[in-house]
Amino acid sequence: MATDAPGEGEPGDREDEGAPHPAFAGYAAEPVPQAAVGSPGKDGVLELRFERGERGTALSHDYATVPFHVSGTLGHDPHPDAETVFVQSPTGGVAQGDRHDVTVRVDADAVAHVSTQSAMKVQTMRANYAAAETRLSVGPGGHLDYVPEPTILHEGARYHASLDLDLAAGASAVLGEVLVPGRLARGERFDFERCLSQVRATGPDGLLFEDATHLAPGDDAGGPGPTAPGVLGEFAVYGTLFVVAPDAALSSDDLHDVVAAACADAPNPARGGATRLPNGAGVAVRVLGDRGETVSAGLHSAWSAARRELLGAPAPAGRKY
Amino acid sequence: MSDDATLSAFRLADSFLPDGSHTASYGLEQFVQADRVTDADELEALLETYLRRQVGPADLVALRAAHAGAGDGDLDAVLRADRRLAATTLAAEFRESATAAGGRLLDLQCAAREAPLLERYARRVDARDAPGMHPAVLGAATAVAGVGEREACLLCCHALVTGLLGAAQRLLALGHTDAQRLLVALRPAIRAAVDDSTTRALADMTPFTPLVDVLTAEHERADRRLFTS
Repeated sequence: MATDAPGEGEPGDREDEGAPHPAFAGYAAEPVPQAAVGSPGKDGVLELRFERGERGTALSHDYATVPFHVSGTLGHDPHPDAETVFVQSPTGGVAQGDRHDVTVRVDADAVAHVSTQSAMKVQTMRANYAAAETRLSVGPGGHLDYVPEPTILHEGARYHASLDLDLAAGASAVLGEVLVPGRLARGERFDFERCLSQVRATGPDGLLFEDATHLAPGDDAGGPGPTAPGVLGEFAVYGTLFVVAPDAALSSDDLHDVVAAACADAPNPARGGATRLPNGAGVAVRVLGDRGETVSAGLHSAWSAARRELLGAPAPAGRKY
Repeated sequence: MSDDATLSAFRLADSFLPDGSHTASYGLEQFVQADRVTDADELEALLETYLRRQVGPADLVALRAAHAGAGDGDLDAVLRADRRLAATTLAAEFRESATAAGGRLLDLQCAAREAPLLERYARRVDARDAPGMHPAVLGAATAVAGVGEREACLLCCHALVTGLLGAAQRLLALGHTDAQRLLVALRPAIRAAVDDSTTRALADMTPFTPLVDVLTAEHERADRRLFTS
């Protein structure tokens, strides 16, 4: 993993594969003035596959290149058949020119929980951008919880994330994301340049729903900024949880009550709610707050309630150390 | 545009059109309830967010695709835009308001004029094969009436803002003069929303109004409410 400081080395000579979104086309043309796009450590690949065996779920395939590291599974899930992987990173975060590629496959009737060990820092950038592409698939009757720790967007960061989820019949998944707009404790707030995070879920009959988080504090011509009324308002941290379960009769009212109560009881300001997803896909939960841990706690309360409904077991504890 | 098309545009933009949009506030009621919108200035800022963060990056993209599809007589292209917009509109109340208004507009247009494409569209919506989201229906209806694509986008924004200003008059002490002033003051935001939608494909709809989503979720469960959204 190279640092983000412009260096003396050769500029990146790899032809980039093209921007993942038109808003990133300008960045894609900029050479990376250190380790080039595609150099060792720049392209992280992570593959995980879970299968259902006689003694519950097992991790049957794993492949990780820097900055991903997988040191095995953990058996602390409150669900007896579930398997857990906390993906680790030996690096200081994501730098300009980094491209991550994550594939998680959960086979029929397996129950898997994939998370990260700590928050992911998207470092300051002066050229190009960083991107992560994630593909998740869940086989018939399987369940996946994909709830990484928060993403922290440092000053000048340009970050594109795309996440595709495909569910087979009877499958379900919980997807969580928390975006922290800077190192808030040192007063860094909405100093990143652009963050676009897109989520797309499909089932046996095609598209279920799609969602996009698009924040570009550096783009004055882009209209109302992150703090505009109706966007994030007075809040800074933004969290989303999708409970995708087309074949389950989940109540968005129940999840709304849980998350609204968690926000009302929080030690600092937060506001959250839940709504029915299109195409009977499940429930979307959104929480806005001042601090990352408050937003994560709000999402966790909804996650746990949803998991009891879907699997008969609460969500694993949030604490990872 | 022909005189007939211009008159159609006037009719579709008129709040006299009984498409039921006066029953929707698209979250505005909850913003007033939560004391987040208390005067004309705060209302203007929120409407600008609607235009630039919801209408431009999503509604108008679907409207344009439906307009182009209907112009080619390609009903499947209209349905693709309609379904895609519904899959991108995550607040349940927004989908309900948009499909209610879309369904009524489709019925009105089928009753008011000879329009085989709209009749086929209406049958697909009745069969629950397509949601009938208002922007997609408006796109198809304007194309059939000969209203240009950009004019149809402007019309959509004008009708939405007029509807929300009407809602604001009932929710806030907003005078008629203030309402007219806002309608003019929001023109740059309307133009910017229409411009933003020009280069976007259906796969590139990125509406982003999280606080509207959260307040709309609260509105879904509110005990006493004047509006359906």
